[in-house]
Amino acid sequence: MKVLLKVFEAVRPTFEQGKLKAFKPLYEAMENFFFAPSTTTTTAPHVRDPLDVKRLMSMVIIALLPSIAASFYFFGLRMVAMIIVSYAAGGAVEVIFAIVRKENINEGFLVTGMLFPLILPPALPLWMVGLGVAFGVFVGKELFGGTGRNLFNPALVGRCFLSLAYPKTMSASWLEPSRDLAGRLLQYVDASSVDALSSATPLALAKQGEFASLSHQLFGSVSGSAGETSAIAIILGGVFLLLTRVANWRTVVGILGSFALLGGVLHYAHPEKVGPVLWHLCAGGLLFGAFFMATDPVSSPISNAGKWCYGIMIGCVTVLIRGFTGYVEGVTFAILLGNIFAPILDEMVIAVRIRRLRSEG
Amino acid sequence: MSVLSWIEFEATEKRKGTVKLKGGYNVLLQGRPESTVRLMPEPSVLYLPLRSKRFAFSELSVKEGEYVNAGDILARDPDNFGVPLLAPRGGKVRLEKVPGHIVIEDAAKVQEHADMAEEELLHLEQEMGAGGIKRYKLVTLGAWEFFYDAYTGAVPDPLGTPQAIIVSIASLEPFVARGDAQLRNRLLNFTRGLEQLQSLLEYQPIYLVMPDVESEFVNLLRNHIRGYAWVKIVEIPLRYPHDHVAILARRLGLKRSNGPIWAVRTEGVLATDRALTLTKPCLIRIVSIGGIGVNSPAHLNVMPGYPIKMIKERYVFEPAARLINGGILTGEPLGAEALGLDTECRGLTVLPELEDREFLGFIRPGWDRSCYAGCFLSSLRVKFHERFTTGMRGEGRPCISCSFCEDVCPAGIMPHLIHKYLYRDLIEEVDMARVDLCVECGLCSFVCPSKIDLRQQFIDAKALIEQEKQELRKEQERQEKEREEQAATKSVEEKDA
Ligand code: SF4
Ligand code: SF4
Repeated sequence: MKVLLKVFEAVRPTFEQGKLKAFKPLYEAMENFFFAPSTTTTTAPHVRDPLDVKRLMSMVIIALLPSIAASFYFFGLRMVAMIIVSYAAGGAVEVIFAIVRKENINEGFLVTGMLFPLILPPALPLWMVGLGVAFGVFVGKELFGGTGRNLFNPALVGRCFLSLAYPKTMSASWLEPSRDLAGRLLQYVDASSVDALSSATPLALAKQGEFASLSHQLFGSVSGSAGETSAIAIILGGVFLLLTRVANWRTVVGILGSFALLGGVLHYAHPEKVGPVLWHLCAGGLLFGAFFMATDPVSSPISNAGKWCYGIMIGCVTVLIRGFTGYVEGVTFAILLGNIFAPILDEMVIAVRIRRLRSEG
Repeated sequence: MSVLSWIEFEATEKRKGTVKLKGGYNVLLQGRPESTVRLMPEPSVLYLPLRSKRFAFSELSVKEGEYVNAGDILARDPDNFGVPLLAPRGGKVRLEKVPGHIVIEDAAKVQEHADMAEEELLHLEQEMGAGGIKRYKLVTLGAWEFFYDAYTGAVPDPLGTPQAIIVSIASLEPFVARGDAQLRNRLLNFTRGLEQLQSLLEYQPIYLVMPDVESEFVNLLRNHIRGYAWVKIVEIPLRYPHDHVAILARRLGLKRSNGPIWAVRTEGVLATDRALTLTKPCLIRIVSIGGIGVNSPAHLNVMPGYPIKMIKERYVFEPAARLINGGILTGEPLGAEALGLDTECRGLTVLPELEDREFLGFIRPGWDRSCYAGCFLSSLRVKFHERFTTGMRGEGRPCISCSFCEDVCPAGIMPHLIHKYLYRDLIEEVDMARVDLCVECGLCSFVCPSKIDLRQQFIDAKALIEQEKQELRKEQERQEKEREEQAATKSVEEKDA
């Protein structure tokens, strides 16, 4: 490893003062990716917690591993291509902006780049994957000033863009998952293999009164967005995120709890519109959204009370969209709506807390 | 806080029925000092810094080359009620030898004496009675420097009367001298000191803060105090920084507007006893030496001005280490120019400098690093003391709103919010968000994954706000004066007319 460090040190002047000065952010990102930064504390506290943003983001990737594995298993090698394209396109936008702004490259896109392909239909043309993620990172994040300042979850912005711009392709790119024991681990299946294309996801079928079996949904052998089909894999990763406190449990419990409650009531009142609660909980992108998308700390409220409200709002809106509108799936819109409300919720909570603080001490 | 420990915490809070505390977190650093107090060899030269955290001893009362006795007043701090700097040993005073220090050469342990003027004592007795004498003794014999204003941390006015005194024997920061080490064999002095403190009050309460643990020592202390109806025992969990007096004062419901609250630690009570019961100057300090790279961390019996080099030679074996005056979370680094211990030193903490850059550090399992959020494998392990370095352990990033800082903050404010206001230069909002309640414990900076130096930002912001407020006050006073003058000239003119 010493050799690598020496290489970095040897080329540093080129990036710091030399010809490649413009690419300094790229160089720094690479260096600090391989080697922990050499900065030390100058004032108290003299020691720091080992957790940094890189690690935090890696935890999300680790938590996604079960879902990624499931998507490989059910939808084949094409997922590899989608992930690579997503990283390449999203990374390019991030790097360009870092260079233009002369700021550091942030780790945020590591997560966005991984989340994005997982919430897409598995047979989507690759150029659309690239376009979507670039749009998401550009509009959803960079225009707001980069990681930490974005209002919306960039991956969801990208997906929302694709479903508004290319609704036909989006809804014609679902794959029937492999039902073989070996899965599709060694197959590359895309839109050209017509026999694998499926017409509809379980949620769409449910609108016509046809419910996929719950066990298939738990396991993941149903049609749907690449990483969203296997409930067990998502819950596994999600619980890991909660235990490591990367995701806040309040948001997750708020979403799933309110969804179950309102869904239960509405199922009782309108059984023809709203299906059974447990089935709905495992259907579509709800679990994935609740554990991985809504819990993004930047675009969710920061106060605990705000997180509860935000979660409840997303849960309720999802039920309503699924049951009473033309759309079959409502998680994306619900979370984006939640993102819009997050700063407002925070502002209200903060106003109350500041008023309470006024008389302290 | 994990759910379990939270429930446990809530339960103990209820059982004790005392104060309700927020946040807090224990940073487990290797090298915790034992409670034994070791004697250090007598130094031949003492280097007394003229500045410490609160004091600036600018009014010198000795001359170059003069011989002093132990207990003589060397200088005073005119801005802090004339708190003196006492000579811990007899010897020859050198003022110019080392800038910023008074050096005592040929230091010798001689009979110490109380440097008090008889006439002044008489005068005081006539003016203010016994209470006045006591206060005078506390200041002149060097006990007053152990008194704090609970909210501001400043030196309180010795002539004032507080609404309460908070006595804390818990020292939870790693590492400063702990109460149990100082109270060894000195319980009697401690209780006598408490009585002396009580004699300064009329009916105001004394709160004695101690850890809510069942140890032999704490039980002994409880039994000793039981008979004192005027001492209210407050038990706190052993979690940093719940021993902080500003936090305690707030949680005890003592309002700042109802008058000053005095706070003293163990050493302050012992000093009170020494000054008032024995009328002897307080020259000795119990200082801890701990951290990583320390030979058998312990408590040391030393005096202000004790050469740091002698301590280092005996105790510190790590060559590239940072020496910190105070604890790891709030202490100040001691540079090469610091030769002797200052009078406020409570502990020295040693921390190795970061040397190696780790390869792919962020994907390591991390069995040996303990993390607030539990993002490393070590969260499967029982709590352990970690080997820290001065490394920042990550790159600075914009705030990602994880709210860890708010969770650990004992003051109940929102560090991330204040940080965002500061970023946008909204000083008024920063004031509204009560940055003044920050007790500078440093936990927010410690946990922040974006490595934002929140504590330092808040210290600067507080100073800025304080300065602005003072300017405003001055401006108001000036205007008022002008108005008065105008009114005066007017009335004169009218008279003339
Ligand atoms: S804001 Fe102040 S009191 Fe709160 S954690 Fe930070 S330093 Fe401590
Ligand atoms: S700990 Fe740091 S990153 Fe997290 S909310 Fe506080 S300031 Fe922001």
